[in-house]
Amino acid sequence: MGTPIIRVENLNFTYLPEHGTPVPALRGINLTIEPGEYVAVLGHNGSGKSTLARHLNALLQPTSGQVWVKDWNTQDAARVLDIRSTVGMVFQNPDNQMVATIVEEDVAFGPENLGVPHDELIARVDWALGQVDMAAHRKRAPHLLSGGQKQRVCIAGVLAMKPQVLALDEATALLDPLGRREVLDTVVRLNREQGVTVVAITHHMEEAVEASRVVVMADGVIALDGTPREIFSQVERLQALQMDVPQVTQLAGLLRRSWPGFPSDLLNSAELTSAVRDHLAPRPAPEVAPPVMAAPDTRDRIIDVRGLGHDYMQGTPLAVTAISDVSLDVHRGEIVGIIGHTGCGKSTAIQHLNGLYRPQRGQVHVLGQDLRDPKIKVRQLRSRVGLLFQNAEAQLFEQYVGDDVAYGPRNLKLSREEVRARVRRAMESVGLGFAEFKDRITFGLSGGQMRRVALAGVLALEPEVLVLDEPTAGLDPQGRRQLYETLLALHAGGLTLVIVSHNMEELAQVCHRLFVIDHGKTVMSGTPAEVFTQAAELRHMGLGVPDVTAAVDDLRQAGLLAPGPAALTVEQAADMLRGAFDGKL
Amino acid sequence: MENFELLRNVTIGQYLPTGSAIHRLDPRAKILAGLCLLLAVSLSNKVVPVAILLSVIIGIALAARVPIRYLLRGLLLGLPVLVLVFVLQIIFQGQAEPAGRVYFAFGWFRVTRFSLQLITVGLGRVLGFIFLTSLITMTATITELTHGVESLLKPFRRIGVPAHELALINMIALRFVPTLAEEMERVMKAQASRCGEIGTQRIWRPDKAARAYLPLIVPLFLNGLRRGEELVFAMEARCYVSGEGRTNFIVLQGNWRDWAVAALTLALTIFMVVYPWPALHDMLAALGVGWL
Repeated sequence: MGTPIIRVENLNFTYLPEHGTPVPALRGINLTIEPGEYVAVLGHNGSGKSTLARHLNALLQPTSGQVWVKDWNTQDAARVLDIRSTVGMVFQNPDNQMVATIVEEDVAFGPENLGVPHDELIARVDWALGQVDMAAHRKRAPHLLSGGQKQRVCIAGVLAMKPQVLALDEATALLDPLGRREVLDTVVRLNREQGVTVVAITHHMEEAVEASRVVVMADGVIALDGTPREIFSQVERLQALQMDVPQVTQLAGLLRRSWPGFPSDLLNSAELTSAVRDHLAPRPAPEVAPPVMAAPDTRDRIIDVRGLGHDYMQGTPLAVTAISDVSLDVHRGEIVGIIGHTGCGKSTAIQHLNGLYRPQRGQVHVLGQDLRDPKIKVRQLRSRVGLLFQNAEAQLFEQYVGDDVAYGPRNLKLSREEVRARVRRAMESVGLGFAEFKDRITFGLSGGQMRRVALAGVLALEPEVLVLDEPTAGLDPQGRRQLYETLLALHAGGLTLVIVSHNMEELAQVCHRLFVIDHGKTVMSGTPAEVFTQAAELRHMGLGVPDVTAAVDDLRQAGLLAPGPAALTVEQAADMLRGAFDGKL
Repeated sequence: MENFELLRNVTIGQYLPTGSAIHRLDPRAKILAGLCLLLAVSLSNKVVPVAILLSVIIGIALAARVPIRYLLRGLLLGLPVLVLVFVLQIIFQGQAEPAGRVYFAFGWFRVTRFSLQLITVGLGRVLGFIFLTSLITMTATITELTHGVESLLKPFRRIGVPAHELALINMIALRFVPTLAEEMERVMKAQASRCGEIGTQRIWRPDKAARAYLPLIVPLFLNGLRRGEELVFAMEARCYVSGEGRTNFIVLQGNWRDWAVAALTLALTIFMVVYPWPALHDMLAALGVGWL
């Protein structure tokens, strides 16, 4: 390898808040990145990974230590533009990175700043849009694009500066699986074909698997550094660092316990298939049936949606059909999942469940009320069907946590004592101690805590049904786990849950039934095992199945495993394999 | 609060892509011509030139293939003000002297030649303003106009007019309008889901009404600030350094036709303002119509 393109030497960085004590964010970081590398940086929220990224292009200056890009020190003010055009950075939220109202003008912003002459400017914009496959959309307005398309435009905007390094600061965190795939494919292609060095900060292990090197950060230091294979085989260590491990690797780890010769450093389904072929021999014993979940009470159907249709801007020339034929039903005590890619209409559908929208076509019955009836008491319905929006922390408004949680009960005109009791119960149920948190400043909390406050705000209405839109989007693995623990505890306490999510792994583990919405229609429904058996159809819709489900499916395709129900969790898959195979001698 | 949809698909102005010659005009020529006509309308104080200008404007609308009904829709917003001005003028201008001929009198209330002239000119001017401004936004996208203004202001950089910065601010504001509208819709729905009722408070308790808007305004502001902060990082990461040393992706290229249109409009303006137009009643009298 030649000279490194990025050199971080003994970097320390301390945030100095205006009030309060200084917070050390980075402590003694040493990191060298060679040209052409694809480095994934993992770490829980607050581990310092974004802070590190912002040192790579001189957005932040070290408290002590040095950062070098090529031969330039990031503290050399005269070199800032060279550094920033060499290390192009893409951020998490595409909406907050675009400056222009037309795609091609936005892509031109970087090279315009660099003073690139007009002819070359046009050539660069053409080239960059071609690289991210967005040339067909060059004249459109950004707000009309999908999340994945927007983020690709942002990448093009950085590419137009002809950078040698592409730094992605959780650039896929807010995207749905389809958008994430688009962005990831683009980045991998740029790395392999154009030789662009990539530094990708991410929570998604599937992305880290694509990297040539993985750096794990924890509490401001580099905890692990190696190839994905080396890193992910350390399952216990990663879990201690609050990180996820790819499902296939987890599965390999479980199998290794039964068969010590089984390799534990598997990263994808193809590797699992060949490892099973090499190390295991089929056993004639019958397959173990997957565990049967306790059947919910199907007599009490509290939500019944049939043939629901909804147009936006109805009655104007701009009318757009958001959903045309959505049907779903929920029984009391169930956990129901709704899946579909962004724009399929699932958000529109769930906004009918608490009367934000009234049915234009079809019917919606919720808790015995017909929503077509204009006389029903909507406010009462909303207190019985709680709805938590995506990014709910962005809707908090009171200075003190307790006041924000009390907003709902106060709107119900309850007595002061009752409001207080409900706020207490709601806060404790999401794991925020009433005494400790009620007088804390809302906006001083961490993102995960703020999302809990928002959840408590809905729970304080004491609803019978809780509808959640992407409850874990943007949280790190630990935040996701904690949130699901809370939700399962609430469910055990009698709450019915309807969860809209892109995260197939999560839904496969908790849901009794799933509904799949595509192009405004319910196209599939059933238990997770039934739905995830139809992997090909799901992929065709731009959705996926859990990695472990796909891996077991691949084993069946390869003829190594007899047909059977879909494996929903790593444990189920391990049980299936243990039942079907024996170690080779 | 039952209808959240009004916020969706916000558009500023009403760009009508009919692809006419007017649409293809260089935005700078369009802005200059529009300004000239605005000036002409506001400096004309007689019925005849105002009428001529109004017919020129309607002629432009026809050439731009903008349906007249669309133009008239723009009036709806200003209608209450127009009616109020009309009523006040007809009541109070009747007293002014010299009044010219008196057409109608009832007690102290008079309709005179002077008051009618004043009202006609006033209404004509307002119509002209509204039509012109709508025509500009109907035939040019806001982005084009932004580039046009930037380009026109460029010569004034030397005396400290921050042309590029103004244009960039404008561009970013426009870029974020749909984003913020979407966000507002989401916040309203979220608070409604918590049984909040924004906008249904009684207007005679403004303190309560104002407080009821906090759940909407606070998140919108905080999120706006957060977005702004992130945008600053993103712009810096893309090497933004104010106006100096930048190049422009959009280079407006007007041809002689564009400048001919601007020059012609300027000539028309000067003529309309400088020509000593006779009063309408005198013109009609010269033609043998004496009833005004």
